[in-house]
Amino acid sequence: MGSLFRSETMCLAQLFLQSGTAYECLSALGEKGLVQFRDLNQNVSSFQRKFVGEVKRCEELERILAYLVQEINRADIPLPEGETSPPAPPLKQVLEMQEQLQKLEAELREVTKNKEKLRRNLLELTEYTHMLRVTKTFVKRNLEFEPAYEEFPPLENESLLDYSCMQRLGAKLGFVSGLINQGKAEAFGKTLWRACRGHSIVTHAELEGPLEDPETGEVIKWYVFLISFWGEQIGHKVKKICDCYHCHIYPYPNTAEERREIQEGLNTRIQDLYTVLHKTEDYLRQVLCKAAESVYSRVIQVKKMKAIYHMLNMCSFDVTNKCLIAEVWCPEADLHELRLALEEGSRESGATIPSFMNTIPTKETPPTLIRTNKFTEGFQNIVDAYGVGSYREVNPALFTIITFPFLFAVMFGDLGHGFVMFLFALLLVLNEDHPRLSQSQEIMRMVFNGRYILLLMGLFSVYTGLVYNDCFSKSVSLFGSGWNVSAMYSSSHSPAEQRKMVLWNDSVIRHNRVLQLDPSVPGVFRGPYPLGIDPIWNLATNRLTFLNSFKMKMSVIFGIIHMTFGVILGIFNHLHFRKKFNIYLVSIPELLFMLCIFGYLIFMIVYKWLVYSAETSRVAPSILIEFINMFLFPASDTGGLYPGQEHVQRLLLVITALSVPVLFLGKPLFLLWLHHGRSCFGVSRSGYTLVRKDSEEEVSLLGSQDIEEGNNQMEDGCREVTCEEFNFGEILMTQVIHSIEYCLGCISNTASYLRLWALSLAHAQLSDVLWAMLMRVGLRVDTTYGVLLLLPVIALFAVLTIFILLIMEGLSAFLHAIRLHWVEFQNKFYVGAGTKFVPFSLRLLSSKFSDDMA
Amino acid sequence: MLGAHCPGGTCARRSISNSDSHPGLGIPLRAMTAHSFALPVIIFTTFWGLIGIAGPWFVPKGPNRGVIITMLVATAVCCYLFWLIAILAQLNPLFGPQLKNETIWYVHFLWE
Repeated sequence: MGSLFRSETMCLAQLFLQSGTAYECLSALGEKGLVQFRDLNQNVSSFQRKFVGEVKRCEELERILAYLVQEINRADIPLPEGETSPPAPPLKQVLEMQEQLQKLEAELREVTKNKEKLRRNLLELTEYTHMLRVTKTFVKRNLEFEPAYEEFPPLENESLLDYSCMQRLGAKLGFVSGLINQGKAEAFGKTLWRACRGHSIVTHAELEGPLEDPETGEVIKWYVFLISFWGEQIGHKVKKICDCYHCHIYPYPNTAEERREIQEGLNTRIQDLYTVLHKTEDYLRQVLCKAAESVYSRVIQVKKMKAIYHMLNMCSFDVTNKCLIAEVWCPEADLHELRLALEEGSRESGATIPSFMNTIPTKETPPTLIRTNKFTEGFQNIVDAYGVGSYREVNPALFTIITFPFLFAVMFGDLGHGFVMFLFALLLVLNEDHPRLSQSQEIMRMVFNGRYILLLMGLFSVYTGLVYNDCFSKSVSLFGSGWNVSAMYSSSHSPAEQRKMVLWNDSVIRHNRVLQLDPSVPGVFRGPYPLGIDPIWNLATNRLTFLNSFKMKMSVIFGIIHMTFGVILGIFNHLHFRKKFNIYLVSIPELLFMLCIFGYLIFMIVYKWLVYSAETSRVAPSILIEFINMFLFPASDTGGLYPGQEHVQRLLLVITALSVPVLFLGKPLFLLWLHHGRSCFGVSRSGYTLVRKDSEEEVSLLGSQDIEEGNNQMEDGCREVTCEEFNFGEILMTQVIHSIEYCLGCISNTASYLRLWALSLAHAQLSDVLWAMLMRVGLRVDTTYGVLLLLPVIALFAVLTIFILLIMEGLSAFLHAIRLHWVEFQNKFYVGAGTKFVPFSLRLLSSKFSDDMA
Repeated sequence: MLGAHCPGGTCARRSISNSDSHPGLGIPLRAMTAHSFALPVIIFTTFWGLIGIAGPWFVPKGPNRGVIITMLVATAVCCYLFWLIAILAQLNPLFGPQLKNETIWYVHFLWE
């Protein structure tokens, strides 16, 4: 068998890394992804470890790179992601990379800050221009006042800034002008009116185009306002209110000439600013473009470096403090490659003394490694989701590859639906190299990962649909039905036969709504349909009576076979871990228990199928009643299934009754006997092996040692007996619980397999309802409207088929098939208490920006 | 009369013989000629036997040999068993299908 049958053998190796070459060696190891490091410094906090400084440096670099990526994304520059991932940088390059990145960051920050300042400046100037332009129109309205203002000489500014006063009729006329946010304009006006008690005039107009706020980037609409007021006190109030409302105030020109001058000055300044701003933005873009070329590889390199330092933190220093010691789990098949990688690393760093390794024996349980390819990975994930297998135990995933899609198909069995599912999976498989598919999000990613499972599920569903004779709820008659209606007519038979049977003629048919075919009438039943269920059952009203009986028996047969197979796989485990006594004391009683009761049930089912026919249908006993009566020993004798039935059943019950105590007590007593040396317990079943074990025990020194035969230090699979003491009570309790679970589980698990019947019934009925409610309605309509109606009906039928029958039922059957595997199949042999082998592999680091920069 | 209700040659396969039982299977001879039981059994057993027993010999050597052999054998066993149960369940039916009278007319005239 391939390595999928059992996990690989592992060994613990010690690596001696010279401190000069440690980094390069780990880089070489990481690129190959061979070994799993063990943390030797577990009681040291992460802040006290040796390479904390280097890790901090890596994180600093990561921060700079994240800032770079953010800026590049903000400027909408494309960020190319390379195909190959570069290796971790050698130590010499790290320093210069760090300098480079820091310089780049400083420069970027500087340029961005300048740019912001320029833009803010530009905004102020633009606002001032707008304000001047708009307030001109205010003043222009009162054209007659214009010349009047020019007569009076302007007074110098009073103590307050930002407004100019004019003397007029003894009172000082002041102006305040500026821009205010659109939302606040009304409130502003009201406050002004109330505060100044009518001593101010406010005019405002809306600015046509919205302006962008440089800090937040929002576009807001602004109102230009002009406030004219009398008096100094009011001037204070106005100023304060303007402050409150966060208005942008600009100095108001007194004369038209001043206004013109200011406007010209502003225009030139704006032009200058535009040029400077453009140049700055160009320069920024240039810098970012250049950085974008190498940012991707830098990110990967920094990530790899950080990972290497994390691993280095797990190593411990030896006594002389010059050599790093690392303990790794390595698969035995890869030991040679490990040596090569160490040599390569030493060579690259140019050290005189190469790093080396040696294996050390250990009592600990190694992690479990099962090598999968893209096809078997999905099935292995299904098994691992329940529990990663213990070290070196039989891996159910090998068989799950076929049994899981098959059990799914038994519950899903529909030719049409299965074919659609198969096509969908085929599409996924053929396009698996398409980049968008391998980078998709959660749910699509799960579906994509399970594409081979879907493929097999669809394929098997096509087969079971063929056997169930169910295609979108319709049956296909490939070979012609085995049931002949015409033979039921009295005209088909000779008068002599007619007197013996109840036959039909036209009037009988006209007066009875339903009639049943009788297989005992010769010629009615012409033989079983060669492939699957006869198509006539699709037309029958008592279809479910026949199908239920067939499907229930089929479910029970498959269940018992699946479970028996599970027990047999347990025998492989016992053989591998060299615990032969388990086979005789546990597996064989389990098998006998299961087969004597449920194997006999299968025998009865098949016997009834073969022997009883329509002629004897009246006396055909019910399997269920016979099965129950097997245990109840009823007084009345109902005839039974076959002659001699009671004797056979009694024998089977005796065997079962004998195997139960062996299952309960055999193993604990045997282990007790082994532990205490020879005593009077003689279990005849395992006589030969006991003698052999005994002599071996006496040869090796007795004591509270391991009592498993041929115990190998490395293969410590069984955890029942601790190395130090022998706890009989615990063993007995474990075995009793296991036996009770097994015996009761036999019955409940067999019944649990009836879900194969239940789900396939549900699927068939749903399919039938969909057809009857949709397509039949559409197909029955007259041809004139029928064509038009049929189009939306077919569309609705397709949509509902996909969502209800394919997705919902598919998920449901998937879940139940998983349940059958996880519970009913795997609890017969699978322990699943292991840890997964996670190698230190730099290839596993995510190389996508979206993952961590999101 | 026997052949009166058969339009055309649809029941040409029905031989006119007495209703002796077949010695081995206990099925009336006349019924056997329409759908035999032995032929499908032979065909399917050979088919799945080829896949499950002969197939493993032809799998090329490689890292996945064990997986492919297991897949072939498991497929053959599961699918053969499934088909076998379906045909055994219909071999000796204890009751027949119950049809509506419309269906009976339809089947009578269109299928036979």
